[in-house]
Amino acid sequence: MFVPFDSTMLLAILPEILLVVLAGVVLALDAAWQPEKRRWLGWLTVVGLAVAFILTATVSQPESEPRLLFGGMLRDDWLSFAFRLVFLFGAAITTLFAMDHEALGRKGEFYVLLLVSTLGMNLMASAGDLIMLYLAIETTSIPLYILAGFITTDDKSTEAGFKYLLFGAMTSAVMLYGFSLLYGFSGETNLYLLAGKLGELPMPALLGSLLLVLVGFSFKVSAVPFHFWAPDVYEGAPTPVAGFLSTASKAAGFAVLMRVLLAAFPAALPSWQGLIALLAVVTMTVGNLLALAQTNVKRLLAFSSIAHAGYILIGVVAVNAAGMNLGMASVVFYLIAYLLTNLAAFGAVATFGRVSGSDEMDAYKGLSRRSPALALVMLVAFLSLSGMPPFGGFIAKVFVFAAAVEANWIWLAVIGVLNSIIGLYYYLTLLKYVYLYRQDNLEEEQKPLPISRPYALALVLLVIGIILLGTAFNPWFEWSRTAAASLF
Amino acid sequence: MDFGALLLTLVTFAPLLGAAALLLVKPEQKNALRWVALITALVTFGISLGLLAIFNPADAIRIDLPWLSVAGWNVHYHLALDGLSILLVLLTTLLTPLAILSTWTSVEDRVRQFMAFFLMLETGMLGVFLAQDLFLFYIFWEFTLVPMYFLIGIWGGERRIYAAVKFFLYTMAGSVLMLVALLWLGTQYNTFSLPELIAQRANIPPQAQTWLFLAFALAFAIKVPMWPLHTWLPDAHVEAPTAGSVILAGVLLKMGTYGFLRFNLTLFPQASWEFSPWMALLAIIGILYGALVSYAQTDAKKLVAYSSVSHLGFVMLGLFALNQQGIQGALLQMINHGLSTGALFLMVGMLYERRHTRALDAFGGLWKVIPVFGTLLLIVSLSSVGLPGLNGFIGEFTILLGAAGSDALGNAWNQIVTALGVSFIPMRSAGGLWFAGFAALGVIFAAAYLLQMYQKICLGALKAENQNLKDLSWREIITLLPLLVLIFWIGLYPKPFIDLIAPAINQMLGY
Amino acid sequence: MIPLSWYLIFAAALFSIGLFGVLARKNAVAILLGVELMLNAVNVNLVAFWRYRAPNMIAGQAFAIMIFAVAAAEVAVGLSLFISIYRRRKTVVANEIDLMKW
Repeated sequence: MFVPFDSTMLLAILPEILLVVLAGVVLALDAAWQPEKRRWLGWLTVVGLAVAFILTATVSQPESEPRLLFGGMLRDDWLSFAFRLVFLFGAAITTLFAMDHEALGRKGEFYVLLLVSTLGMNLMASAGDLIMLYLAIETTSIPLYILAGFITTDDKSTEAGFKYLLFGAMTSAVMLYGFSLLYGFSGETNLYLLAGKLGELPMPALLGSLLLVLVGFSFKVSAVPFHFWAPDVYEGAPTPVAGFLSTASKAAGFAVLMRVLLAAFPAALPSWQGLIALLAVVTMTVGNLLALAQTNVKRLLAFSSIAHAGYILIGVVAVNAAGMNLGMASVVFYLIAYLLTNLAAFGAVATFGRVSGSDEMDAYKGLSRRSPALALVMLVAFLSLSGMPPFGGFIAKVFVFAAAVEANWIWLAVIGVLNSIIGLYYYLTLLKYVYLYRQDNLEEEQKPLPISRPYALALVLLVIGIILLGTAFNPWFEWSRTAAASLF
Repeated sequence: MDFGALLLTLVTFAPLLGAAALLLVKPEQKNALRWVALITALVTFGISLGLLAIFNPADAIRIDLPWLSVAGWNVHYHLALDGLSILLVLLTTLLTPLAILSTWTSVEDRVRQFMAFFLMLETGMLGVFLAQDLFLFYIFWEFTLVPMYFLIGIWGGERRIYAAVKFFLYTMAGSVLMLVALLWLGTQYNTFSLPELIAQRANIPPQAQTWLFLAFALAFAIKVPMWPLHTWLPDAHVEAPTAGSVILAGVLLKMGTYGFLRFNLTLFPQASWEFSPWMALLAIIGILYGALVSYAQTDAKKLVAYSSVSHLGFVMLGLFALNQQGIQGALLQMINHGLSTGALFLMVGMLYERRHTRALDAFGGLWKVIPVFGTLLLIVSLSSVGLPGLNGFIGEFTILLGAAGSDALGNAWNQIVTALGVSFIPMRSAGGLWFAGFAALGVIFAAAYLLQMYQKICLGALKAENQNLKDLSWREIITLLPLLVLIFWIGLYPKPFIDLIAPAINQMLGY
Repeated sequence: MIPLSWYLIFAAALFSIGLFGVLARKNAVAILLGVELMLNAVNVNLVAFWRYRAPNMIAGQAFAIMIFAVAAAEVAVGLSLFISIYRRRKTVVANEIDLMKW
């Protein structure tokens, strides 16, 4: 499994190298360019990410057998490959959303931080060692703390950064304590060597350290009871950042969760399945019920993203040791669909918020008359979130539930589908504002709602992606399966 | 791919193409939009007639292509037109252009979106009737919800938003358990294809069959709607625009009864047999309850809405008689109800367009001012009542015959009688007759409430504000004409229709 | 030699004190201090485990050093966020940072 160093290994970390280079270039140009030219930094970042995406997809495909590179620090497999593409895509879309944002668009450091955070996510997805894992998580989180509090002139934004940092620092310390115990019990830091030594451990010790580790991961994926930060941070953070947090950052959390659970804790499979099942039930129920009461769209999306973490956890539960079933593949597929969908939702909110200056639901009244195109995007995104065909969200949900049914967790699937009805209710509530209600002052509906080019480009891409995932889902699912299979 | 398979795909997706074509027309050109929609619907109808021409009752027209196949999962793009679905497909393609025609003057706001949603709805409905793959079926099933939600929510009456949300949540709540059930079937037997699952149905353990039956039944029962799950229906009907009501009553409700026929009865025959007396009981309660509540209504549209509860009770009774006559009658009654109730809703809508009210006591004596309307309303009402010679009679009578002769119902009755220890001999001999008897009361009630409605609208003293009502225009008559022709045709000479469906039903029942 | 368990108990105590500080204190700087205590508990754990369980492998020590570095970065970002809040609101007490409901 371990591979001694040779120069071809650098190819495996090509995306990371490209990200570092890109971040350096942006930083340098930010210093060199006059302020009026800095809008081009955004396009530069997008193009750079696109190039990195294409190069990664073509050149740095993993070999058929998973390899542990750089002394076991990184694992080069299809899972990390898939997730890295997802992160690069998410970062590119987020850049498009940020480009015309008043407070973000012309700041080179914004793009640099975004790129570094993406770098961290890439490493999270491929980390094979506890040390690397910790470093990657912090490389992701620390820039995100700054990004959430990026607008220093805005009270809500700084407050978001503040809360995010305090929560993140605490949970990562707890997780780290778990790491130290794992190391102590086994004398190893490599995830794949851990498993062999941990198997002999008494169950309470194993579960204890697992619980500590889960605290950190639950924070990253915003699972109950470590979700408190999400609504405030989403509401306060600049909308593009909130979108990035709720999708790419969450996906990275799940990538780590899956890898650690399967690589380090196969011995405790039945125990953690029960634990995660409980977590899933609580997470989706709490998320959905609290979402019902929201009047701010970003807060609503925050609770909905908590609920979605719950659905995804169902897929995590539904694995069997052989790994031949749908469980993990459905998680990967769900994350891809969720990334596209939620980015579209946040993108639409960002587009609207930029013009109207409000994220309250009331402001969305009559949107379908004011801007039919934007309303259509919201329709697609929210129906996909609620799991209606023919959109990606539907297929994703079906796969997750099917995985649960297949693995004989039928009650879990039933709770999942019942929850999705609650979800449907509040997504419909928002669509009601967009399509059915009218503004009290009908002149409001006549005001133009311009959608600038980067927004339009990103939204169109996302909508096409959502529909593709929902109709021509075979290749995507095949891809998710290959990725998931490499976990075992 | 042979010609029939091509036509199947075309008929399903032609409306969707039409909806896309609407995007090319400017929103201001309302008449152009209407024409595009109407022509699309007519072309779809034409294609379905083409299918009818090449249809052979003994055999299904089928298209079956693999769609997704991983990890033992096999989802197919599998459509088929057979005796169970052909009449419903024709009904859908017929009612859609008529409904579009009825909106010509009544829908002025956001015409493009209205037509687009309407055509999308048609694709969804056709897909439901044609899908032979459970997964595909579920997709189409859900796909119908969104357009209907908007049709009610944007173009509906005063409480439209409440009604739209209620409609959506009710139906969705019913169908999610069906999703779990069909996922179980799909993962357990590695196929979602209905014929393949039917071939394996003997392997489904009895207890699982019971649960699966219930999960499917809940989804369909809400859609039908069966008493006591019907409360969304009056709201949805009253608030929906006329065209929406026509499609809702004419086609969407049939998705429920069709679901019972297509999935519950074929996949879980044992459970169907066991549940049949209970379903029949609910059906009869629905028949009587719907009829009584109809009688008490003062709003014409609400009256027709509740009459649907009653009429669909007949359909359910026929289905769960579980014999040839019962099912044949039920299938025929689905069509009849679509025609009669569709026509009734259209006519109530025409009244509403003229007077902007549907309260029965706002009218009276209309016969004198608008005789054409009066005549047609009489025919349609009588067809809904079930007068011999018109279509309703054929369906209801066959259903009652089926129920009376039903083994499943009779058997259950005998068990009850034995359990109670009653030894009165006639009670023992013909159990199904009791079910049929109570249901027949519904026919009598139907005469009462429909004729009362007719009397309040068309007979009696003419009110001053109704003096100057205009009689039906040519467009309106053309809208109603096809329905009237079929009402008489089925009533007088039902054989061609029965010939279309009988072989499939016999095959299903294993004759 | 001092048994390993003493170190572990010490680390656990330190961790608990830190956690208590995080949960009980309201001032953001104090909360961050609590986090630092927790991280140091982890470091004690790591170094002790390294010494007793796997003295031949460098991993434990390396891990501890990494944590030093990352913790420093975290504190730097944290304090700068506190400053940006303090500039506008003249407070870094968590209870008073309540524009949005927790």
